[in-house]
Amino acid sequence: MEDKLLIWKLRRGSRAALRRTYDKYHSDLLKIAVVLAGGMNPAEDIVQDVFTRFAQSAGRLTLSGSLRNYLITSTLNGVRNLRRNRSRHETQGLAEADYVPSTEKRPDQWAMMSEQLEHLSAAMSSLPYEQREVITLRIEADMTLRKIAQLQKTSISTVQGRYRYGIEKLRSLLNGEIRE
Amino acid sequence: MKSAEDIKQCFRKSTLSTNRDRHEAIFQEILRAQEQSRRTEPALPRLVNWSSIMKSPLTKLGVAAAVLIACGIGLSLWRNTGSGIALADVLARVEQVKVVKFKWTFKWFGEDPNKPWADTRGTQLTSQEYGWKTILKTTDPNGGERTGTELYASRQKKPAIWIDRTEKTYIRMAKDAQAQDGRGPRQPVNVKDPLSALKEILNTKYESMGRSTIDGIEVAGFRTTDPNYVSQGKQKEPSQGQVDVKIWVDVKTLFPVRIEGLSGNLDGKGGRSVFSTVTYDFQWDVPVDPAEFEPPPIPDGYRITDMFPERANEENAIQGLKQCVELLGNYPERIDFAYLWSESEKSETPAALRVKEELKGLTGLDRDQKKLDALKPMRFLNKFYLGLSGKFYVGMASKDPAYYGKTVTPQDTDKVLMRWKVSENEYRVIFGDLRAETVTLEKLADLEKALLK
Repeated sequence: MEDKLLIWKLRRGSRAALRRTYDKYHSDLLKIAVVLAGGMNPAEDIVQDVFTRFAQSAGRLTLSGSLRNYLITSTLNGVRNLRRNRSRHETQGLAEADYVPSTEKRPDQWAMMSEQLEHLSAAMSSLPYEQREVITLRIEADMTLRKIAQLQKTSISTVQGRYRYGIEKLRSLLNGEIRE
Repeated sequence: MKSAEDIKQCFRKSTLSTNRDRHEAIFQEILRAQEQSRRTEPALPRLVNWSSIMKSPLTKLGVAAAVLIACGIGLSLWRNTGSGIALADVLARVEQVKVVKFKWTFKWFGEDPNKPWADTRGTQLTSQEYGWKTILKTTDPNGGERTGTELYASRQKKPAIWIDRTEKTYIRMAKDAQAQDGRGPRQPVNVKDPLSALKEILNTKYESMGRSTIDGIEVAGFRTTDPNYVSQGKQKEPSQGQVDVKIWVDVKTLFPVRIEGLSGNLDGKGGRSVFSTVTYDFQWDVPVDPAEFEPPPIPDGYRITDMFPERANEENAIQGLKQCVELLGNYPERIDFAYLWSESEKSETPAALRVKEELKGLTGLDRDQKKLDALKPMRFLNKFYLGLSGKFYVGMASKDPAYYGKTVTPQDTDKVLMRWKVSENEYRVIFGDLRAETVTLEKLADLEKALLK
């Protein structure tokens, strides 16, 4: 219910509602962007863009689902756009034109990853992107496989397969990291 | 433990901590985006018809009134309908009107229409000659508090005025604000300006509802449930795909008497969310005093905000790059305002020290605001680059930008510092010495090869 009220207030240009939305979700979105994009720097850009665009469009926003899922989907789209842009630049020999390499740390980043998140991010980056998406959306965003299938424009069985293979590979990569 | 559960635990333990200063700086930028959007595309219930005034200030009363009539009626109703009313006659009648005053209500509700999440009522007076004003009140679902807001838009070249009695703000807004923000004229998505509504309704299928009586007046009704009514020009949201609009017209005067509109997921699938608007109590060609359209003087204690947005363009982007060199000592590695903000905090250049001196003694939001003002050229640079990347505005295509501040310095006079596409075979290039040229794709390829050496 709080999110519905937030949207209601955002539609009226409420600063407080924007503040609440930002405080409530930015960490979750950053984390999702980190594991999908493979580093903090692109994740920061993506999440800032997500909130900027959200702030610009909130006055006309109507959601059929949850606010959280809307923001997560926006983040997902941001990552996909980044990948597309990178791919294009790479074909022109212009990789890294827009972004500092993801492994490079800025001294005053928006957020700092825990060691665990760094390990997870590194392990996730070795998975095929589609598997990364499925695992992140299933575990971190708590989305159903059906919803993920819709987002990926594929069948549920394909999503199930991506999830299973991704988890297995991730587990082997993180062996020793996830067991205490 | 199952493997998936292991991974889930790993996700849970994987945390991040936010740098509070940067977090706040980024939020200020986001807040700015909201403020700009709020002024150029004001929030829904406060500003019914606002954008139509902003786009074509009161020059289209005939069209506006026609929309009130045409709402829910298809183009083919220019012929006689089952009700015996020809909408062409109605349109012609309303086109002659110089002044119209009416009331409206807007509600947004879920499962229970009696407990709306939003409930706004307004009165609007529109004159072809003098201007337009709306006074509206919103019921706060949390406490029943009602908020008064007044909007004034003159036909003369005065700024439009928006007075928010609750927040005690007095906003003066450029009439062409929408065109200055780089996105061009737009309209609110959920509440259509009359012109857009007319265009949409003329493309819908409709039906006659025959004759009935409203408040003792014999009326002819028309209805459309054509989803095209809501889909044109809107962001596609499945829940917005249903519409039910009705209009009743006085069979004697040919003026509309009442218009009702429902939109949203009317079938309730996926959670009911419905927007309901009712427009009624029309008074046609009522006598008006020009003074009615004059906004009141600024009340004591009100915060004044001028909204005359400047557009990010190549010129002020270059100014932003100049400021980067002055404040940071070189071109920044990347164009990201949060990054530029924090880099400027660390910088010890004379210009950066001057800014710090100006900020001395300020704290919190006051300091942020002052610094945001000081870094305005950098903000325009950031906005310009985001615009080129297609990331700043929804629906704006990327112009294939690239930025090489990581390796190019002000001394690299012939190296490409920034470039973006301007046509199929041409790119605009800003060089290290900040001169700008348009070059062919082939020349750009040569220039960028030089960067790799």
